[in-house]
Amino acid sequence: MELQSRCQSNREIYVEALAKQYPGGVTAVDGVDFQVSAGQVFGFLGPNGAGKSTTIKILTTLALPSAGFATVGGYDVVEQAGDVRCISGVALQDIGLDPLLTSVELLTIQGRLFGMKSAVARKRADELLELVGLTDAIGRRVSTYSGGMRRKLDLALALVHQPEILFLDEPTTGLDPAARRDVWTEVRRLNQSLGMTIFLTTQYLEEADELADQIAIIDRGKIQIQGSPARLKASVGTESINVAFEDHVQAERALQAVGTSFPGSRLDRDTLRMYMNGAAQVIPQVLKQLQGASLNPISLTLTQPTLDDVFLKVTGQSLIENEREPQLQNEPA
Amino acid sequence: MTQTTTQATMSNASLPHASFPLQLYLITRRTLVTIFRTPAALIPPIAISVFFLVIYNSTLGKASSFIPDLGTNNYLGFILPLSIVSSSLSGAGVAAQNMVRDIETGYFDKLLLTPISRAALLMGPILAGALILGLQAHIVILVALLMGLKSATGIAGLYAAIGLAVLLGTGFAGFTISAALGSGSAAATQGASFIFFPLTFLAPTFVPLNLLSGWLEVAARINPITYVLEAMRAILNQGWDVATLGRALLACALLGTAMYALAVVALRVRTRRR
Repeated sequence: MELQSRCQSNREIYVEALAKQYPGGVTAVDGVDFQVSAGQVFGFLGPNGAGKSTTIKILTTLALPSAGFATVGGYDVVEQAGDVRCISGVALQDIGLDPLLTSVELLTIQGRLFGMKSAVARKRADELLELVGLTDAIGRRVSTYSGGMRRKLDLALALVHQPEILFLDEPTTGLDPAARRDVWTEVRRLNQSLGMTIFLTTQYLEEADELADQIAIIDRGKIQIQGSPARLKASVGTESINVAFEDHVQAERALQAVGTSFPGSRLDRDTLRMYMNGAAQVIPQVLKQLQGASLNPISLTLTQPTLDDVFLKVTGQSLIENEREPQLQNEPA
Repeated sequence: MTQTTTQATMSNASLPHASFPLQLYLITRRTLVTIFRTPAALIPPIAISVFFLVIYNSTLGKASSFIPDLGTNNYLGFILPLSIVSSSLSGAGVAAQNMVRDIETGYFDKLLLTPISRAALLMGPILAGALILGLQAHIVILVALLMGLKSATGIAGLYAAIGLAVLLGTGFAGFTISAALGSGSAAATQGASFIFFPLTFLAPTFVPLNLLSGWLEVAARINPITYVLEAMRAILNQGWDVATLGRALLACALLGTAMYALAVVALRVRTRRR
């Protein structure tokens, strides 16, 4: 695929003290700082309403910040909106496709609006459909597409003008596991073969873990912690002792019983999670203290920390809940 | 609050983008394609116009001897312009419905993220609407010809009538598109389209203007539809009347300009970054 950039950029994202307050005083983003280097996949992880979408809207020039500063590819998102759009591709959470058009029609219109000649736009459309694996559905209207196919087409549309930085707002929300894997493969390929910088928001821990070189965890408008997935996991300790109880009340009593001797302990509903190094040695002591408080665990496991453990530790709540109840995407009308 | 706002469609002229005529062509063609893929939206306006033409002609046609200047035509030549105007009214709504759908599906936002000019975003759907209602006017006139209409100015006159319908409809389209942009809702846009419906009756709809009196005459004199109806009637039944035609063109131009300005404001409000 011939990939000649149509606009120049340094492929970096720089965000400093970015804030967004909506009329009525709701603060969606509350002083966020981060930096994405060229060619990185940056995962912006957080629950619904954490401020992820607002951040992506500011970075893609669809919304203005109330305070702070941000550049995308070296261009100011407020003052140089046209340049930012030229170098970035955007696939928003709400997929914007006209259901009455076919994939080729949508892609060629997009290409021609970006100044491509008719034949070039058509060729680009074919390349992109091939890239996202939609060549079988080439002449069909979008209304006949499944949720996963629409996501892929939306991704292809974001790539028409050969952006150097790609923004994906919850690219797999509502997709079934197979379709989700397909999108992941695609994101990895774009990043690795084209060197595209990718900024991705997600509420799925597994997704951030799989794809991102760097992760920032955002909650209530603020970044709670950021770093590489490995570093974040190591920050909570190398191991986790997970003690499950009948109910939340018992788990809470257990936290009181062991919390002082093991300060890395957190409550996750009915389970007590204790983060530390060298956990195997202290298991007898943990059990002894629990028995001392006449508490009977249902199970005890020893695991390596996941990103959810990181999330639990920094925000005091678990993100897993979100993954258990995926919102279902509308099937073709 | 002193928050700065800038337009989301603002784009740097030096960046790669399509020329304005090409943008307009792409948006117009795309709007027409989607309109023709939902033919169900096209048939009712034509059917209703033809229905009115037949009904009015057969119920009022026999009792119309008081209407002067019909030339070789009967009441058909008098009532046909109403039918053409009402089809351009409903035809104009089709383009706006299309725009509402774009707003609802999010495709409108997708277009805003491309280097497209604001004027192309507005004029594309208006132009598509104009072409659609030109087509509708053809069909209505064809039915009238089959019913025995004779144009006093020949084919040229028929096309002049179609041209007037298109110009008038362009103004309506500007209005319904403003409603679409302002509300972003299909129901509100539909509602706004109905505002023009009474206007077709605050005009010399069934009798000539000189037979109207009182408030209805006042209303009719400031209604652009009045001048379009009069010009069409003159062309179809009597012959070329430059003064009447000129008044109709002026009325269409005033309405069109005002409605386009309204649509520009509505688009600005919708695309303002907050």
